Amino acid sequence: MNLKLTAVSAAILTAVTAAPAFADYPERAIELTIPAGAGGGTDTSARRLALILEELLGTSIAVLNIGGGGGSVGASQFMQADPDGYSLFATWNSPLTTVPLVQNVAYSLDSFTPIASTSETAYVLCVDAEFPATTGAEFLDELAANPGMYTYGNDGIGGTMQLAAERIFQAREITAIPIPFGGAGETLQNFLGGHIDIYGGSISTVLPYVETGEANCLVVTSAADVPALPSASGLEALGLGEHETLLWRAILGPAGMDQAIVDQLSDAIQTAVNDPAYVEFLATKGEVPNVLVGDDLAARLQSESDGLAEVSRALGLSQ
Amino acid sequence: MVNGQDITLGLIFAIIGGCAAWMASSYNGAGGTYPMILGIVLALLGATIAARAAIATQNEERPLVTAKANLIIALIAGAAYVALVVPLGFYTASALLMLCIPIALGFRRPIFTVVSAAVFVMMVWLIFSVILEKPLPREIWLTLGSGGGA
Amino acid sequence: MDFFVTSLSGIMAIGPILAMVGSTLLGVLIGALPGLNPVMAIALLLPLTYSMDPLVALGMVAGIYNGSMYGGAIPAILLRIPGTPASIATTFDGFPMAERGEAAKALKIACWSSAIGGIVSAIALMTVGPLLARVTLLFGPAEYFWIAIFGMASVGVMVGTDAVKGILAAVIGLLIGTMGIDSLSGQARYTFDQTWLLGGLDLIVVLVGLYALPPVLQLAEKCDLKGLSAAQLRLLAVPFKPGEIRSMFGTWFRSSMIGVSVGILPGAGGNIAAFLSYNAAKNASDDPDSFGKGNPQGIAAAECGNNADNAASMIPALSLGIPGNVVAALVLSALTIHGLQPGPRLFHSNPELVGGFMFEMLLTSILIFLVGGAAATRVFAQIQRLPGVLLVPSILILMCVGVYVINGRPVDLWVMFAAGVAGYFLEKVNVPLAPIILGMILGPMAEQSVRRALLISRGDASELITRPISAVLALATLGMILWPIIKALRAKRAKA
Repeated sequence: MNLKLTAVSAAILTAVTAAPAFADYPERAIELTIPAGAGGGTDTSARRLALILEELLGTSIAVLNIGGGGGSVGASQFMQADPDGYSLFATWNSPLTTVPLVQNVAYSLDSFTPIASTSETAYVLCVDAEFPATTGAEFLDELAANPGMYTYGNDGIGGTMQLAAERIFQAREITAIPIPFGGAGETLQNFLGGHIDIYGGSISTVLPYVETGEANCLVVTSAADVPALPSASGLEALGLGEHETLLWRAILGPAGMDQAIVDQLSDAIQTAVNDPAYVEFLATKGEVPNVLVGDDLAARLQSESDGLAEVSRALGLSQ
Repeated sequence: MVNGQDITLGLIFAIIGGCAAWMASSYNGAGGTYPMILGIVLALLGATIAARAAIATQNEERPLVTAKANLIIALIAGAAYVALVVPLGFYTASALLMLCIPIALGFRRPIFTVVSAAVFVMMVWLIFSVILEKPLPREIWLTLGSGGGA
Repeated sequence: MDFFVTSLSGIMAIGPILAMVGSTLLGVLIGALPGLNPVMAIALLLPLTYSMDPLVALGMVAGIYNGSMYGGAIPAILLRIPGTPASIATTFDGFPMAERGEAAKALKIACWSSAIGGIVSAIALMTVGPLLARVTLLFGPAEYFWIAIFGMASVGVMVGTDAVKGILAAVIGLLIGTMGIDSLSGQARYTFDQTWLLGGLDLIVVLVGLYALPPVLQLAEKCDLKGLSAAQLRLLAVPFKPGEIRSMFGTWFRSSMIGVSVGILPGAGGNIAAFLSYNAAKNASDDPDSFGKGNPQGIAAAECGNNADNAASMIPALSLGIPGNVVAALVLSALTIHGLQPGPRLFHSNPELVGGFMFEMLLTSILIFLVGGAAATRVFAQIQRLPGVLLVPSILILMCVGVYVINGRPVDLWVMFAAGVAGYFLEKVNVPLAPIILGMILGPMAEQSVRRALLISRGDASELITRPISAVLALATLGMILWPIIKALRAKRAKA
């Protein structure tokens, strides 16, 4: 509360003295748009990070959740914000790199100023104990041998999870039936109830059931193996290393932001993400910090967008 | 006597339903069938209502509006408020609304109006801006005050 | 037994108790303001829990959640403006009672019923939760489809005198529900190339417009310059008549069971619990025609049902790690923040914390008895003393701020305004509004689950009725549609 009072009084003071715009950024509250509803993975990560950023930047950060359209609604609305550094966008990769491929949206990667990525994790494919495969290689062989026989749950048609899986399936010429759900929780529920054959989604959601033996996770969509899932193969081990797709999160601004502010923010985000408390928090969700800034981040967005464009074209999902 | 209200109502929804079904015809697969069926059903229901009213012998029409002048005042004030919330800022527009509507509706106790407007706007500010920290449209005088720098 | 003692002693400290009392009151306020919902407040609270005693934080969650479900009834009764989607059914009988001058009585029934629903639900959470959680896994897309249809059948009780117009309203709601990105095919439907429509129309935005604007416009038309005097309010000391409480036992029991059953199904949505309970109460009544005209049983059913959904909705979250709604998702993320791992072992590895939260759900329900009634009559009901002309702008402002903060989008205000003007005229020509909202809630659920079920069965529609649970649900739906007809026929025969 104190923090906010100081921020408010600072804002009023500068308003009165009419100080130059960028000299003492930030001089008022920052609005952080999250293109997903409250309670999800992106939301909790961003809100937690915002708390640390508030201290580092010395201003308050107000969170605005705008869900819908797989993130496109929030992204489109955010795109129109002023690039003054007081409007930031905390998102996962899907609205930026996947959604523009499959939906007719008004924004592209150029509509944003990349500031910094924060954390990442892989998606995972799991089966139950009865499934006739116990390793990643056997799993893909079984799917390849029985085209159209197995159903896998995912986070929505044309979502990054589906494309991550299809990218692997295409490389191995596999046909499996995607069943879109509202999120990993819903997918898990249907997987545990035996309504679908394969769980596809985030690691942290399914992890407890790996420990009870109800889920047997066989493939992760990252190139490397995931330590928490010893039975799952990374794509490198399956000879598909170049088809890696991750779930990762980043903070961006509207296009045309002042470089000085971008630098200030990316420094602050870098410090915040590497804060031990935040790293520990990420670990509980099965995520690891990975900060890329500036051109590196822009390059990552571009290359992922290009890679997924191929997959979605092949699936007939592209606009 | 025919029931003009029901005929209008039925026709409006028959048209909306028809348009919805027509738009749905361009959607692919099952994602289009469902809204198309809904559109057709809506059009049929609308047509039923209109047809039923056209042949009805009784007229159950009730007055749409009881006090036209007051309704129009409220509607115009409401629309103006919605339009002004962003340019003027949320609290400025709200304070204006709190002052204008009672006067327009013939309330002649200015001090009572001003006090209740102040108390109410303060309460909203406490709940939404202080407790819930929700970003609301910025006040015009704050923007002007900072010389447009923000 | 030990566990009950340890978890209870954990929350019997000054911090959690203050948190529960304060947040229950805050919850009542949040529920009572149209547009504001518990999710917003809880989402804001949770990141702060890192530096907070988790039982204090969870106590606040419990208080806000339970308090708001009851709070929604207050404007529903006093102004016919439901504070939350779950309190729409409360307006049916609550407002007629208020018009008869029995507002205090209606509020008291709402308060008692909410508390009882919440208590039953919390007890279910503490005792049979893990068992019920496993049962919910049997519900696949085919079963969810039938639940949606079952809920839709309850539209029968709200169509009023003109069935065609009632069904028309439901179809309008279903059509609105199809707007936005179709999650199963990825195509945009009825978005008119507007990106803000890709997510569809927000339920709360439409609800606030449809339900709050018409009463506001009517207040303006009435142009009341005086307000009620303290004597006219007659708010205090309305004891229950002898036998009155007993007469509600049946309704409370039925509604609690319905609320718990709907609550444990992830994603089914508590909003329909109130509708289903209301429908059940009307069907069970000897005098179904008195419903909608100020029958206290209607309020009891709706309010008990919507609170009985609360604690039950935590069951799949706490015992399986599957959040059934946004509040449950927020609670799970709060637990992860504290290093707990949601899932089947959550309870065994952290009985103090999880058990403590369960107790907090129970205690905050009891708190509704203690503080809810007083808050309603001593604070909220006093607004009736204000001249109506001052209420008009006040409610308008609350509507707008509530709608604006959902998405921070000015265009939502226009959607709300348009929905309100439409609602005003639709009501005047006898088109009921509740089916529109019900259609918006259940339409997407029905459509998505049936299409998912067909994807899984490779297009074989017989799977929808051959699975055991779906067969039962299908029969129950049929029964629910036919029951009022059979009853009416029997009554006619008895008369003849």
